[in-house]
Amino acid sequence: VLVLVRSPLPRLRALLQRCWGRLERGLWPGIFGGQSPPWGPALAVQGPALVPQGISDAGAPSLPESVVWMAAPKQRRTIEVNRCRRRNPSKLIEIKRNIDVCPECGNLKQKHVLCGYCYAKVKEETRLIRMEIYKKEGGPFNAPTVETVVLYEGEKPTEKDEGKRIIERARKRPSWFVQD
Amino acid sequence: MRLSVAAAISHGRVYRRFGLSPRSRLDLLRNLVTALVRYERIETPWARADEMRGYAERLIDYAKRGDKDERAMRMADFWLTEKDLIHKLFKVLAPRFQPHAGSYTRLLQIPNRDGLDRAKMAVIELKGNPLPPLVRPRRDSDRTLLNQLLKGYRQDAQRARGT
Repeated sequence: VLVLVRSPLPRLRALLQRCWGRLERGLWPGIFGGQSPPWGPALAVQGPALVPQGISDAGAPSLPESVVWMAAPKQRRTIEVNRCRRRNPSKLIEIKRNIDVCPECGNLKQKHVLCGYCYAKVKEETRLIRMEIYKKEGGPFNAPTVETVVLYEGEKPTEKDEGKRIIERARKRPSWFVQD
Repeated sequence: MRLSVAAAISHGRVYRRFGLSPRSRLDLLRNLVTALVRYERIETPWARADEMRGYAERLIDYAKRGDKDERAMRMADFWLTEKDLIHKLFKVLAPRFQPHAGSYTRLLQIPNRDGLDRAKMAVIELKGNPLPPLVRPRRDSDRTLLNQLLKGYRQDAQRARGT
């Protein structure tokens, strides 16, 4: 593609000549003979005062007096200081000294809490007993007005279980469910 | 002098706050009492079980007055939402606890709940229920020093009584 680069040059030259002329007239007004009026006496001022004031030297630019200064750290906290704070005994997790062994099953348990394994065993058995109760009652809201006793395979009701409702469970009596 | 209580101080308050409002708290506890009378052993958060224990035991105290008592019947009517349990309360639980003077319930803590909240759970049961026992009473072994000494003392006393 042929680009014409010659043509802007005469225009550029004319522009430059005009600018140069204006500049010379401004700097040496006496030379061009009266096209600009002669300068009269002017104020002798110090250098920095010539520069208009609004641009530079603004220390606290446009802040009202009622600003609140927030707290901010002055220095970087070293890793030693950080370690002292993070590893202070008050911030570490406390060790538990109330863990024991359950005498029945040997699992670990807390001293004031029931053993999880033994409780799960009992919970399962009560669930099965409750299923039997529901089957015997036949529907909701049929709570009986007599006591209940749970009998396992091969057990007969004793004279203590005289007026009670009997719930049968089709398995051998577990060793931990003592009838008393 | 201070004439009003500052906010966020609860010195001396005995009742916990549950639910959306005091009425909602009573409804929650009422549901728990009904469930306890029906199933005789329930597993709930520890705070609710602890709060409910007092209400359940007072209900049984009211039931011990007998079902002819007007106040007892009104209490049972409010606290038991399932009305067949009123019969169970007066005919089964009141005679069962007649010899006891108080403490009809047993509250035991169980391992924290498995869900995200890991809540402190408890199991609350009425004493004398037909379900399998939660805690077996453990007797010390016969081989301990104290038990051996007591055994010796018992044998000596028997021999002295025999001769």
